[in-house]
Amino acid sequence: MMGRAPRVLAAWLRRAIVLALIVALIGTLHNVGLLDPERLLRAARNLAIFGAGLFPPNPSTLPTLGAAMLETIQIAFAGTAIGFALAVPLALLACPLLFGPVVTAPVKLVLALVRTVPALFWAIVFVVAVGFGPAAGTLAVAVYSLGYLGKLLYETFDGVDPEVIEAVRSVGCSRAQLARYALLPEAANGILALLLFMFEYNVRASSIMGFVGAGGIGFYLVGYIQLLRYDLLLSGLLLTLGVVILIDRLSAVVRRMFLVPVASPVPAE
Amino acid sequence: MTSPNHPALEATNLWFAYGAGRSGLHGVSFAAEAGEITMVLGASGSGKTTLLKLCKGLLGPQRGEVCVLGRPVVAGRRQRLDPAVAYIPQHLGLVRNLAVLDNVLTGALARVAQLPSLLRHLPAVEHRRAHALLERLGIGHKADEKVHALSGGERQRVAIARALMQEPRLLLADEFVSQLDVHTSRDILTIVRGIADGGVAAVVATHELDLIDRYADAVIVLREGRKVLDRRAKAGSVADFALALRA
Repeated sequence: MMGRAPRVLAAWLRRAIVLALIVALIGTLHNVGLLDPERLLRAARNLAIFGAGLFPPNPSTLPTLGAAMLETIQIAFAGTAIGFALAVPLALLACPLLFGPVVTAPVKLVLALVRTVPALFWAIVFVVAVGFGPAAGTLAVAVYSLGYLGKLLYETFDGVDPEVIEAVRSVGCSRAQLARYALLPEAANGILALLLFMFEYNVRASSIMGFVGAGGIGFYLVGYIQLLRYDLLLSGLLLTLGVVILIDRLSAVVRRMFLVPVASPVPAE
Repeated sequence: MTSPNHPALEATNLWFAYGAGRSGLHGVSFAAEAGEITMVLGASGSGKTTLLKLCKGLLGPQRGEVCVLGRPVVAGRRQRLDPAVAYIPQHLGLVRNLAVLDNVLTGALARVAQLPSLLRHLPAVEHRRAHALLERLGIGHKADEKVHALSGGERQRVAIARALMQEPRLLLADEFVSQLDVHTSRDILTIVRGIADGGVAAVVATHELDLIDRYADAVIVLREGRKVLDRRAKAGSVADFALALRA
């Protein structure tokens, strides 16, 4: 049992920690300039101007934006496909069911290094490499997807039912056959879900590739901001929103068509 | 063929320990003969699954040795395993996203060429063999269906067909009828009886005493990782085995 004095001390300690956190928060808000009333007032005024400028949305540039949006989707589609094609073999090499740590550890390290670089930075790298345009954006999305899909895929492989792996291993197959006949089909649900998620994510990510000249609708969006044409900007944002919702719906249809029921109940005899 | 000097399976003084709190095996020895069904009886956690995995080479014993047809079983996490030993795990280990026929064809992977098999091209003779096995087991009409759409008994038959596709000399089956009704269990064990009669040694782990009378030739009883009884089925009554299980 704790005596009265230690209990009081513990209660004071808790209060002191909460107080210290509050002081730290206030100090941080001051340092980032969010406790400056004049600045906050100016921000509110600017937001009001920005908000008023957004409406009504101006559809006059929709044909141009539509073409740019199509390019954005193409960047996301091709980038996801290339990233996936590269990620699957690397994820298999990183899978401890198939290889020992001598192989898995370096592959995991490479994937981690790829992931540490943000997509926009990869876009800058590839604009330098292949010049302005959607090719740079596609390569940036591909490399970015490789880092994330590689990690998520090898984690999916790790999660495959060990009994299925044991059963297929027991037939005396090779590691490549084990991957082909057990790991990949058994992880197919997870792979498809990841692929659809990555594509949806990449459509959004590709929307800002144009900020650094790597193609897509982002080039126009940043231009409208710089020209203070917020009404045109809103049209572009609404178009992006519509496309993202559409892709989300299409993904749901694809999932329903291809995914195997997870529980897989045994029907009655 | 089994050498006349060696039983199909011979496990000698097997020791295996998991981490703390999980029982393993303590010096278990037994043999299984070709043409017979050896039933491994034991309650949950008695070491039945561990014993079968050691016999298959999915686990390596800390002490002791397993020999199949006189050859030592080499265990290893990434080792290629002997296709002459078929293993059916408790929940069958079927690949849900593959069709029935493809699941059965996996049983032939050890003897087909690597590259074509990775492109899902297996020789026509293997396809014919798989179809024939499915017909023999009464599910030929389900060849193209996905496994997740099958009933429990049908899945059992697919697992058996995959095992037979290996052309095994030893069949290890781990509680694989435990989730079936009595009627279906008996159907499946009748199939196993037929396989054994064809010269295969079958080792079936179970906790169901009522299967012994009808199907077992030899019985070993495990309790807390130790063998407490090893007897010909006809030499003991169900009551003897029940007593050994609980004593």
